[in-house]
Amino acid sequence: MAIPISQMGTVAAYVLKKRLSGNKRYPLVLMLEPLFRCNLACAGCGKVQYPPHILKKQLTPEECFAAVEECGAPMVSLPGGEPLLHPRIVEIVNGLVERKKYVYLCTNALELKHRLPEFTPSKYLTFSVHLDGQREHHDFSVCREGTYDIATEGIKEAVRRGFRVTTNATFFDGTDPGSVRGFFDEVMDMGVEGIVLSPGYSYDKAPDQNRFMGRARVRRLFRAILSNRKPNWKFNMSPLFLEFLMGKRNYECTPWGSPAYNIFGWQKPCYLLQEGYAESYKELLETTNWNEYGVASGNPKCANCMVSCGYEPSAVLEGFGSLKGFLAMVRGSFSSYRDEHALKLLNDPPPQASLVQIEQPERAHELILEETNQ
Amino acid sequence: MTAEVQKYTLAQVEALELAPGAEHEDLEGWVPTLATDADLRDALDKALDYRGDVTLTLKSGERFEAFVFNCKSGPTLADSWVQYYTPSAPEKRKVGYAEIASIEFTGKDRAAGKHWEDWIKKYSEKKAAGETNIGLAPDRLD
Repeated sequence: MAIPISQMGTVAAYVLKKRLSGNKRYPLVLMLEPLFRCNLACAGCGKVQYPPHILKKQLTPEECFAAVEECGAPMVSLPGGEPLLHPRIVEIVNGLVERKKYVYLCTNALELKHRLPEFTPSKYLTFSVHLDGQREHHDFSVCREGTYDIATEGIKEAVRRGFRVTTNATFFDGTDPGSVRGFFDEVMDMGVEGIVLSPGYSYDKAPDQNRFMGRARVRRLFRAILSNRKPNWKFNMSPLFLEFLMGKRNYECTPWGSPAYNIFGWQKPCYLLQEGYAESYKELLETTNWNEYGVASGNPKCANCMVSCGYEPSAVLEGFGSLKGFLAMVRGSFSSYRDEHALKLLNDPPPQASLVQIEQPERAHELILEETNQ
Repeated sequence: MTAEVQKYTLAQVEALELAPGAEHEDLEGWVPTLATDADLRDALDKALDYRGDVTLTLKSGERFEAFVFNCKSGPTLADSWVQYYTPSAPEKRKVGYAEIASIEFTGKDRAAGKHWEDWIKKYSEKKAAGETNIGLAPDRLD
């Protein structure tokens, strides 16, 4: 696992403190969306389909700090929109770092390279760069050629300047698992701290509604991707959550674990669904009928969700909540997950036309086994 | 989640290969007839899901554009409200259901025409024409 010990220690101490105080619902990561404006127009995105006057609105630094202090989460993710388009993003980041919050600034990195001099490297600040795969895959996924090259230039410069950098990928139906594994090699060679990945979620407001995988397909894909790992691959995620994606564990959703705050307020019930807004975090907790959400509820809107904002908190709570969970987390950090059947999945034809009109690289079983053993 | 929504069993969820996405009605330009309270509630539910502005006309005669993002639906219209932003004011505003005389879906649906298939078609056409640096650009904000 690529997460620094100081960050793990902070989260572990926070979870322990909450458990000892008898608190059953508490946040781990605040999804703080300072604006919805973006400089890309990805068809799979459900976050930017708003009229111009909404896209021009943004949270002030003071509103961001109030939200962070109210909910108390030890980690803050800054998605969007593209946060680097916010004119006061440096002030927001610096204020969060001063508050000793572990900040993940999620960016498509189109602006990253030339904005880096405005930021100061810190163990509290990570640039989480959106890269959906190898060059052709990423460019096609974000609907613009050339973005991979710009983003990777930003990554390399950020690494050179001493920043913590992760990549952040979302996978949709048609993803080629062999190419994803090649992508892992590429980003680890760039010197990133770790990889973050997630299956896509069928955002109600996304333009495209036909490319979201169900749970069975997600598990097959992630089993193919994440089994037989190479030793140099690092993931900036809970190993137990990765096992969940591979179908080795079952979790129920913890929607309050990653609450979302934006210009509309505290989003009910989670980062993905928009079923109203609360004026405060307290109101969000008290007025949301949590039993109506998560896979066990039978709610169709939760049926395909295996996204990190709901299920990684469940994995983290297990990992830091019991000795058994902790040992499983440690074991998962060092396992390569050898799996012969998963190798065969790599060469299965994709369930529908590939996302990208490029040739699928041929990967022999023996070669991958050899790489895994390196 | 409303009671009438079809629920999945856990077995169905686990076996799901493809997620049925949301089906969006083509609401741009729609002017619903608000003959009953149920008509008004239905129209405001659709406004909440709509990815563009609507125009609200109040019983007072006031008329304005709004992006509706939140509501509280109570037992009566007097107990219910919608929350919205207007293009010209910085703050969130609320209006009671009982005050609304009409609603028109006047704003552009911001997701219309932006499907994956639209992107593939555009990409293929431009590629065939020999273009490079092909891409989609966000809508202009002015």
